[in-house]
Amino acid sequence: MSTLNIGGEQLDASWFLLLSAVLFVLGAAGVLVRRNPLVILISIELMLNAANLALVAFSRQLLNIEGQLFALMSMTVAAAEAVVGLAILVDIFRARDVEDIDDLSELRG
Amino acid sequence: MAIAVFFVAAILAVLGGVGVVISRQPIRSVLSLVVVMLALSVIFLLLSAQFVFAVQIIVYAGAVMVLFLFVIALLGPARELGRGRLRFQSWLSGLFVVALLGLMWALLQGVQYRQPEKADLSFFGTVQSIGLGLFTTYLYPFELTSILLLTAAIGAIYLSRKRVDDL
Repeated sequence: MSTLNIGGEQLDASWFLLLSAVLFVLGAAGVLVRRNPLVILISIELMLNAANLALVAFSRQLLNIEGQLFALMSMTVAAAEAVVGLAILVDIFRARDVEDIDDLSELRG
Repeated sequence: MAIAVFFVAAILAVLGGVGVVISRQPIRSVLSLVVVMLALSVIFLLLSAQFVFAVQIIVYAGAVMVLFLFVIALLGPARELGRGRLRFQSWLSGLFVVALLGLMWALLQGVQYRQPEKADLSFFGTVQSIGLGLFTTYLYPFELTSILLLTAAIGAIYLSRKRVDDL
């Protein structure tokens, strides 16, 4: 157990990690359950945010700035991922109407 | 005060995360994700990550989410079919999700925290400290991310251009 002194109060570092785990699992559930490609991209963003929370929490616990720097890098990667993913989606939707991500499985061998 | 702020933000974040997954319309998923991001930015502030807090609001809740909203406005409201072609998919994914949460819970029990380094909390997480890290020790990865962003921009323009045979 590791407590963080925040504003004179003791918060446990594992609370932040638990919140991060719950958000990550919610994102994973969204990727697995939802059928709409857009919502799957949104759920991936949720998982990336959860990972960022864990990075920042460990950064605060160790009082080491590297965790925050890596969170910034991961935000950059998330932005790039969203841009390319949405561009691919717009390209696909322009060709035809996709209601289900399984409609896009014809490249499967 | 800090504990109350943490729990309010955490509950908002979890509710928003549930909203992302269960909303029938993509637009509501996006708005729920904005709620998650704002709640997480408050938590970043609690963890004395002021710069990450600002970037989270400006870049994530601002730019990336507006991009999602634009794409939804462009594509129109998409219907969601009830079930996929794979039978038992929702059942299996529920099982997987519960197993994943259990695994993470077990991992959290075994986390061994190291002793914190000596650092000045009035300096930690400020723009100055972030800049010092980004432009000295981590200059090379920082420049690599700019190449990544350039590649993504070129790729997005290439993918979304109007093709000649469409006309």
